Amino acid sequence: MYELFKNLGDWLVSGEQWSGSDGIGHRLAEHLQYSLLATLVAAAIALPLGLLIGHTGRGAFLAINLASFGRALPTVGLVVLVFLASGLSMWPVYVALVALAVPAIVTNTYAGMTAVDPDVKDAARGQGMRWHQVLFQVELPLALPLIMTGLRLALIQVVATATIAAYVSFGGLGRYVFDGLAQRDLVQVLGGAVLVAVVAVALDLALSALQRALFRHRPA
Amino acid sequence: MNRRTLLGGLFAAASVPALAACSSGITSLDGGSGAGTGGGSSKSGITIGTANFTENQVLGYLYAAVLDAAGVKTTVRPNLGTREILIPAIKGGDIDLLPEYQGALLHYVDPKSKATEEGEMQNALAMALPAGLQVLPYGRAEDSDAFAVTRETAEKYGLASLADLKKQNGKLVMGAAPEVKTREVGVVGLKEVYGVEFKEFKSLDSSGPLVKGALKKGDVDVANLFTTDTDIQENQWVVLTDPENLIPGQHIVPLIADRRADSTVRKALAELGNVLTTADLTELNRQVDKDKKDPEDVANAYAEKKGLAA
Amino acid sequence: MSIDWSWIGDHTDDLTTLTLSHLQAALSAVFFGLLISLPLAVVAHRIRPLRGLLLGLSNVLFTIPSIAIFVLLLPVSGLTRTTTVIGLTIYTLVVLLRNTVEGLDSVPAKTKEAAKAMGTRPFRTLLTVELPLALPVIMAGVRIATVMSISLVSVATYIGDGGLGQLFTDGFQRNYPTPVIVGVALTLLLALVADALLVALQYVLTPWTHRKQRAA
Repeated sequence: MYELFKNLGDWLVSGEQWSGSDGIGHRLAEHLQYSLLATLVAAAIALPLGLLIGHTGRGAFLAINLASFGRALPTVGLVVLVFLASGLSMWPVYVALVALAVPAIVTNTYAGMTAVDPDVKDAARGQGMRWHQVLFQVELPLALPLIMTGLRLALIQVVATATIAAYVSFGGLGRYVFDGLAQRDLVQVLGGAVLVAVVAVALDLALSALQRALFRHRPA
Repeated sequence: MNRRTLLGGLFAAASVPALAACSSGITSLDGGSGAGTGGGSSKSGITIGTANFTENQVLGYLYAAVLDAAGVKTTVRPNLGTREILIPAIKGGDIDLLPEYQGALLHYVDPKSKATEEGEMQNALAMALPAGLQVLPYGRAEDSDAFAVTRETAEKYGLASLADLKKQNGKLVMGAAPEVKTREVGVVGLKEVYGVEFKEFKSLDSSGPLVKGALKKGDVDVANLFTTDTDIQENQWVVLTDPENLIPGQHIVPLIADRRADSTVRKALAELGNVLTTADLTELNRQVDKDKKDPEDVANAYAEKKGLAA
Repeated sequence: MSIDWSWIGDHTDDLTTLTLSHLQAALSAVFFGLLISLPLAVVAHRIRPLRGLLLGLSNVLFTIPSIAIFVLLLPVSGLTRTTTVIGLTIYTLVVLLRNTVEGLDSVPAKTKEAAKAMGTRPFRTLLTVELPLALPVIMAGVRIATVMSISLVSVATYIGDGGLGQLFTDGFQRNYPTPVIVGVALTLLLALVADALLVALQYVLTPWTHRKQRAA
């Protein structure tokens, strides 16, 4: 145990390990790129959907069930399927990561919207607010905490799962995990896993800081 | 998930991989326990492990077919991973028998070995294999590692042999399974023997869709393939010659745990080894990869046709 | 990309075996996950300082890529089903632990006081009052954990297990979509059926929740 952690320490701090195309710096950047882009795309799809369903109350049953259906999608299978359809490209990675992130964002956004007190919405409408004003000035701010929870959950899952990019020849921190598996180099696997966990935790902290900042500036 | 719980967890989590790691060395992977030195027995059945590429699965099912015919109960576990995963698994007892390749296996157990001739390698293997493991006589069929380039790349850079690669040091991208980066028959040996240095190494797969796709697409210039892969001929890829004999002979050889090696198993596998040729094996691979037949069906049909499963 | 229907017909036995093996791995993980998280949740519920630590630990474990967990377990349990189940169990903890703690938290203090006043011992209160009342929230966690495990089993294909996941690596290596499509479809079906059965189980286990509709 001591040995493995000592080696992990050496692995993490050696200058050689940080530089070059297979260096931690480059792999970290790739991993962030896959994760953030996939989560952004997922948010662009899922947020409007969740807001719309929550605002109108229409299609909720279908959307929520589709979302739980999406949660059951096996990522490995999806990656392989898209790979067979598209060949050697980034498509398999992004499709799988977006499919992973969308359900968490949709369900939490919807949950946030339904948690808004109907009386508050009625009052807003009674004051003559238009539908978009009700949505953006009343419902959205009140639903924000749960929406952010959804985004954070999605991001954590995407960061952990972006490892799969290495399975279809691409980079990211998963490279260390898959290469370490093939070479049976547990130090490399552990190094990759620790870095992924650190990235996930760091991004989660960043989002929670963002969330607090957003609340501070919320109009009273 | 609030901030405090995540941070608290981070510290607590530090101890978890430690728990997993501290038992290495005393359990299955490195222990040769249970592998007695006396005569083995296949009475309780044999578990055959196979690596993560088509041919190895075909071989695994061929072993199963001839052993079943000899009255040995077999289980095949397909697609377990690389040699780096499989050898510890056979030592630990998760599997008992493994279709292996002479030269590659020798390099794995004794990286410094200079043996290249089949008989020499067989002797060297007998010496170098860890206690509890042995190789049975090697078969006729052979499947070597090949370093291949596309016809266009060969013409563009004037590549015919591995020695020619040196002229393009720092320019070419090499694609192969991840383990090839640290293997002698791979990046390490190419540098030592031929002085070749690549611009980049791309981790792909073992003569599978990734490495072949990348070679076709031009993402890699040099690809590590298997000589029994029919895609080499089909795409007119150029296999670079090996004047310094970096790549050892790769006759198929069964690696077995002593505890299961009895005369029934030896006889059945030796018979298969004498019948199966490289051309046969190449054809069986093709049937699985191209005709999408099951490795198991292909193996059974072959064994029956050759009277090995009667 | 087209489906080769004859392949499916020729492989019904294999598909049944893989599906059952897949289900066994997922259900074992949820079972062991519950076995571990129930006592831990009680501890986290009673002892506040431990709560953040336990929940945080399960959260962080969740951020480690599943494939890495499987590989790191190889020195401990080798290429076996045990490795698969341990790995999956670790992932169920985040949901099961959180939901069980929340479930226990949701039991009204008055109810517990009433039980105490009647002279019920703490452990008995836990078994006969708190856990049953927490059941709806716990079951919600069990449902998520089950669906998640069923979807995750296939990752173990990288260490030679993985139930239906074997169809993914097979199709990948041979550039053959049929096994992959069938594998994805069966995984989804399995998740759907398991979820429906859990809903039914919850209905049977918690009659009070639907006898008086939405009394709260």
